[in-house]
Amino acid sequence: MTSIPQIRQPTRPILLFDDECGVCRHIAKWVLKSAQKGSGEPSIVERPIGNDPAALHLLNPDLDIWDAYETIHVVMPDGSMKLGGDAVGVVLQNLPNTKWFAWIFAIEVFGYRPFQTVLDVGYMILADVRPVLGCESCATPSVWVRPIERVIKWARTILGAAPPSRPSDHFTGLPAH
Amino acid sequence: MTTYMLEDSDTSSGERAAGDRIRTVTSATFAALVTNGEGPIVVEFMSYGCAHCRVLEPIIQEVAKVLTSKVTIFRVNVGAERELAARFEIQGTPTLLMVLDGEEVGRAEGPRPTVAGIEAAITQSFG
Repeated sequence: MTSIPQIRQPTRPILLFDDECGVCRHIAKWVLKSAQKGSGEPSIVERPIGNDPAALHLLNPDLDIWDAYETIHVVMPDGSMKLGGDAVGVVLQNLPNTKWFAWIFAIEVFGYRPFQTVLDVGYMILADVRPVLGCESCATPSVWVRPIERVIKWARTILGAAPPSRPSDHFTGLPAH
Repeated sequence: MTTYMLEDSDTSSGERAAGDRIRTVTSATFAALVTNGEGPIVVEFMSYGCAHCRVLEPIIQEVAKVLTSKVTIFRVNVGAERELAARFEIQGTPTLLMVLDGEEVGRAEGPRPTVAGIEAAITQSFG
């Protein structure tokens, strides 16, 4: 008889990260290092998104693997999910070295969270510039990032450095493993 | 690295999710379904982390719906099937491999994500 895969009940937030993106791997490494600074178990659990849609469904039935690669996801101990800037806020609130200031993201003024909005915008900017920072799996950069990419390419050419490897418009290189 | 562990965890079943018209093939099922498969077969080499594959996904689902009686479309996840990707010299994703009677008859690398474009690439390969 085939046994149904079981999953341990999570007791800490689970950060899903894109292991095909150099920037994301770098950030995940920093988060893990920071999470281990407190006493006892790390405050955040990390998990690469990986290649198995079914495994992600075990974490949350609504968790879609395409969406997980599209934007940062944190699965909370109660099974709910935080996405994008909210997910970043949760991570910062759980890290020993950032939680001293991360409470500001929860501040509400007339139902509006101004600091969370700043964080959301910051996250969107970072997500957009990933292609020029070393993301192997990212698509063509957003329109506003393309001039920056061109300047970086030009600067690298002047300096004699190899051009950064990035996919063409409709063809992405195999993920590095 | 601390990872969230699955117990008894091989869930890479290759089964289709609800609404998915494309079946995932693995190295274990490739020979039976593709190499020895009947009729025109298209294999999409893709990766879930590939943004262009995400753009192509609804398009190829639509193509699978339109060509359902003429062509069988499979998916190979190169993130999990590195050996298959190497065997077919896949340089990047997405790549569509057209197979007839176990032989490659064409391929489309990084195709334009339009239903008409994908359909044309497929039908041209199979004559």
